[in-house]
Amino acid sequence: MGLPLLLALIMSTQSTTEVYQITNVGIGSQGLSNYGTVLGEYNFTQYMINSVVMSVIIVVGKVTLSLFAALALVYYRFPYERAVFMFILLTLLLPVPVRIVPLFDLMARLGWGNTLMAITGPYIASATAVFLFRQHFMSIPASLVENAHLDGVGPLTFLWKVLIPMSKGMIAGVSVITFIYAWNQYLWPLIIMTDQSKQVVQVGLRFLQAASQSGLTRWGIIMAGAVIALLPPLAVLIVMHRPLLETLAIQQK
Amino acid sequence: MPEFTKPYESRWQAFLLLLPTFAVLIAFLYYPGVETFRLSLQQTILLGTRKTFVGLENYVTLATSSTYHWSFAISIAFAAVVVVGTLVASLFVAYLLFQVDVGSSTYLIAAIWPYALPTAVAASVLLFLLHPSLGIITFVLESLTGTSLEWFTNGPQAFAVVAVVAIWKQLGYNIIFMVAALNNIPETLTESAKLDGVGHLKMLYRVYVPLMSPTLVFLVVMNTIYSFFQTFPLVDLMTSGGPNEATNLLIFKLYRDAFEFSNLGLASAESVVLFAIVAILMYVQLRLSESYTTYA
Repeated sequence: MGLPLLLALIMSTQSTTEVYQITNVGIGSQGLSNYGTVLGEYNFTQYMINSVVMSVIIVVGKVTLSLFAALALVYYRFPYERAVFMFILLTLLLPVPVRIVPLFDLMARLGWGNTLMAITGPYIASATAVFLFRQHFMSIPASLVENAHLDGVGPLTFLWKVLIPMSKGMIAGVSVITFIYAWNQYLWPLIIMTDQSKQVVQVGLRFLQAASQSGLTRWGIIMAGAVIALLPPLAVLIVMHRPLLETLAIQQK
Repeated sequence: MPEFTKPYESRWQAFLLLLPTFAVLIAFLYYPGVETFRLSLQQTILLGTRKTFVGLENYVTLATSSTYHWSFAISIAFAAVVVVGTLVASLFVAYLLFQVDVGSSTYLIAAIWPYALPTAVAASVLLFLLHPSLGIITFVLESLTGTSLEWFTNGPQAFAVVAVVAIWKQLGYNIIFMVAALNNIPETLTESAKLDGVGHLKMLYRVYVPLMSPTLVFLVVMNTIYSFFQTFPLVDLMTSGGPNEATNLLIFKLYRDAFEFSNLGLASAESVVLFAIVAILMYVQLRLSESYTTYA
């Protein structure tokens, strides 16, 4: 499973000539200079920044919005609670490809082409995150809630002082899942970001392939780009695998 | 339903807390979702400047188009190959992990890391390693089997290569859920089976697989959705739908009809078909998980 990755890592140090010697699987003569070329000459520094900004906005936006929504669903009495929750859950039926043409149209009419609003907006509300936070809030002992209320604590203080500290693991898990999901987006940024300098790193890989259509393909460079585009989500997974696994286990229900 | 009395009563506060989520969902999910249905009944001409109502004409076009039939058929076949391949491979890895039974994070991360693998990265890496003339894996395979990998021109081979990459990327997700399911199986069962001298493989399909069935059903549904919706970067970066339409999956065809040929009405009708597929899968998932909880 990890073998292709190891090979990609080795090939990313090779010059184009070395790559074309098929059986050459040693560390190449380029060392890490391919990485410098990708980050500089091929604009990967810019793409990486764009990807980081996009993913962080999506994570922060999704967690914030979903915490608010879950707070309302669990701790407020209002009419049609069940219907409101179903209305949020039903959006699971609408992944991007199912609404891609009108969504693109809408962004064009709003004049949002090439903006952060366009690549983050469709992702910052989420049925899954609301569902998970709601589940978690409902599992918090009622005595705690009643104590907080007896002290006359307002809802936002209650969220900040009681709920968030008690939901750290769940918030971490949702953040990791969301970050990896956002970082790996390809189709939507490809369509909505027509300005190359605004593009994310996944689509950057497409530019890398297209750039070398003539002559010998610079595979060493492409492998370096692939490794760079993989590192952030992989690092996040390694560091945060515990909350990630716990959250996914709950999601299945 | 919560057993406690809800502490807050203010309706306008609840409304304000729900407002941002609702605004985003309505603007970017429900509204475009409904628009898709409306657009699918229209024909766009002059690059989308004029729209005319054409009723079900786009659906008739899809129903009678041999290209679309082909895309539909290979997408179903692709889903079947990816679902079965992913389940078998990840079950094998998850079971190994369970047998070794180390609490060590290193083994676990080594098994689940493809969860973080971007599809575009998977595509780029294997496009090179399986390259018909340059790939080191191609070289080894050809030396071992004596067949030649010509997947840039050979349709069935291209289909197989894209499926292998799709499976590779999806292993992590599946292993995560399978390991969790295996860890939930009571140890007494394992102990007593061991005493009866049941072999490892027999244990797996006689004892573990039936006990894991709720998880396996969930994964069948999720993997199917994945193979219909998340495989766009693979086709886009590895084959562009070729050779001879062999990898022109529904999601890739939809992209081209919409954004290369500007055929928005037809593309919207294709979106509606995809919507129907998701709806059916979600419904199946819901019904089956309900039936399991009644037994539990």
